[in-house]
Amino acid sequence: MFRRVTGFVIVLGMLASWLFGCRPAAPSPVTLTIIMEQVPDTDVIRKLLPDFEKENPGIKVVIDAMPYDAMRDKILASFMAPKATYDVIIVDNPWMDEFVAGNFLEPLDDRIRGVPDYDFEDFVKPVRDIGVVGSKIYGIPFYNYAVGLIVRQDLFDDPAYRDAYQKKYGKPLAPPTTLEDYVRIAQFFKEQSGGKIYGAAMQPQRGYKVFEEWKNWLYAAGGNLLDDQGKVILDRPEAVRALELYIEMYKTAAPPNSLNWGFDEALRSMAAGEAATMMSYNWMLPTLNNPQGPAGNLAGKFALYEVPGGKAVLGAWHWAIPRNAPNKDASWRFISWVTSKRIEKQRVILGGAPVRVSAMKDPEVWQKGFGQSYYETVLKILEDAEPLARGPKAEEIIQVVGTELNAAVAGEKTAEQALRDAAAQVRRILGQ
Amino acid sequence: MGHRDRRLGRRMVLPLILLLLAVQGYPMAFAVYISAHDYRLTALSEIRWVGLEQYRGLLGNSSYWTAMKNTLVFVFGAVGLELLLGFLLAYLLWRPVPAQNLFRAILLTPMFVTPIAVGLMFRFLLNNQLGIIPVWLRSLGLEIDWFGPDLALFSLILIDVWQWTPLMVLLLLAGLEALPVEPFEAARVDGASELQIIRHLTIPLIRPVMLAAILIRMLDAFRVFEYVYAITRGGPGERTETILFHIYRVGFLYFRLGEAAAMAITLALVIFVLVVLLFRILRRQEALT
Repeated sequence: MFRRVTGFVIVLGMLASWLFGCRPAAPSPVTLTIIMEQVPDTDVIRKLLPDFEKENPGIKVVIDAMPYDAMRDKILASFMAPKATYDVIIVDNPWMDEFVAGNFLEPLDDRIRGVPDYDFEDFVKPVRDIGVVGSKIYGIPFYNYAVGLIVRQDLFDDPAYRDAYQKKYGKPLAPPTTLEDYVRIAQFFKEQSGGKIYGAAMQPQRGYKVFEEWKNWLYAAGGNLLDDQGKVILDRPEAVRALELYIEMYKTAAPPNSLNWGFDEALRSMAAGEAATMMSYNWMLPTLNNPQGPAGNLAGKFALYEVPGGKAVLGAWHWAIPRNAPNKDASWRFISWVTSKRIEKQRVILGGAPVRVSAMKDPEVWQKGFGQSYYETVLKILEDAEPLARGPKAEEIIQVVGTELNAAVAGEKTAEQALRDAAAQVRRILGQ
Repeated sequence: MGHRDRRLGRRMVLPLILLLLAVQGYPMAFAVYISAHDYRLTALSEIRWVGLEQYRGLLGNSSYWTAMKNTLVFVFGAVGLELLLGFLLAYLLWRPVPAQNLFRAILLTPMFVTPIAVGLMFRFLLNNQLGIIPVWLRSLGLEIDWFGPDLALFSLILIDVWQWTPLMVLLLLAGLEALPVEPFEAARVDGASELQIIRHLTIPLIRPVMLAAILIRMLDAFRVFEYVYAITRGGPGERTETILFHIYRVGFLYFRLGEAAAMAITLALVIFVLVVLLFRILRRQEALT
């Protein structure tokens, strides 16, 4: 008996010392832990951190970077914990309304008012609006991933292509501004190159990708997911036309059998010189034009335009503070520093995707960054852009619409049927 | 066994039972609990009892049935092909072969690669424009749309076969090598042909091993997720939506954990029934021999 008791006490003691031994010493300087995605924009933030820590000696910042798919679960787990794991989080736009609805985020209005010269209105409006839910601000823009049309400018400037196009269609070859032109130009490149260069590297992969690409087509055709009153209008004739043109493009001008293509495949196809255009994130342009980048010898031959029709799908990441974060003042100190005009400029010069108008109009940024025309085009894209879906059910809407679109491109359903099914499901999700 | 021994024995397994209860029993019980509740991670303040409503909802949920059907096709297709190929390969290796160990080691390598990497490999190997396999096929005059609506699920089955046939070979070969030599010698002396020996001797003798191998592979194949995730995301349409991928989508993308738990429990039931069936076959075989 005695031995059993001593054994028990020893085990208990070991357990206790293990439990308490792991506790960090009382943090005299504050350490901020930030969850981020493993992307180039995070590397840019890493480069800025020493400056922040120099200016704020009491605060140390630790970045916990991970792949996209791991982030949502971790952020949610941090929300559920009594004390947040993350002092600062970044929020992808489809999550914003959902997180606010769950009462997980701290409103930032008062804090913004407390920073002199912060100039919140300087963030491009559509990007800024994502962080505003109800009438309160919950997220500060971090970087954008709005969609643009990336083309091989050298092909559009090639006299042989230009002459042939002029002869065939009686007008000059130029980056398309309407859907019909886009389909025709893409078909033209495929025919004229004898099938060596496809007209468009498309991304019809089921789910997020196909919806993200096709919704630009939907905007160009004058349609949308919801109307101003929030009613589902996905089954209107404009949408059917947009989808029929998209399918025609896939069948006649995209690389064959590319039904499961996503971001990577389209980028590789462009970089390998096998496609003349693609719709992708605007900041893929500097990547493609980088001589050390994936395109090799083709670097410098790519150019960015607005998508046909001019209105683009907007994606953006926002900084936010979880409600259960322990050091909210320090968290805000970091966010307000990194999103200030001064640091935004540095961030963009280092290659970060811009969100402030002032940075995109700054001659120093043009000169040290990627040139005036690039930033002007990005600003134009951002000014007329709208997210894929909003509201607390955005993620589910994106998935069900993306499934129906992919089924239509695969030929499983007609465009009309697929959109009717998609609209019915979205209505059900929204309870309409 | 004496009374004291038995008591000691019971106390010795106690920690293990407690551990099992903690790491398996609790999560399972919790899954059953939330499957009867409207349990959404984004609305934890509104959890309410719904009884069997979520299970009833599954009856009319066409995506769920499609996913279940796809999964069954995948499991039977993949495990069937793996059994066939695995047996043929094991049979060929069941004799002295030069550099035998090296040869077997090479054969087993696909198993060592993590499935998500295998998925990404094949995503690009089979890519029509960027991959090497379509290039070879084209030189033979073949044009195959691997991830089109007709073939996508079959392509995923082939990838699984590529990765997991070696396991089948490994298990069956171990079974073959454990067989007694005498019956085979006797059969040869009696003038039985090779095919007759396989059909009437080899297969009946290693049937228990075969069933065990099928069971192991089947349980594993039900969990198919990585290939779907890396390559098709369930597309085209819902052609490759497997049940685990669907559960992941509902649970971790839409955060409707209650509904996801209900699906997971029906999946567990399906697997349970199949396992019981397999064991019954196994037991009947044993009774016969």
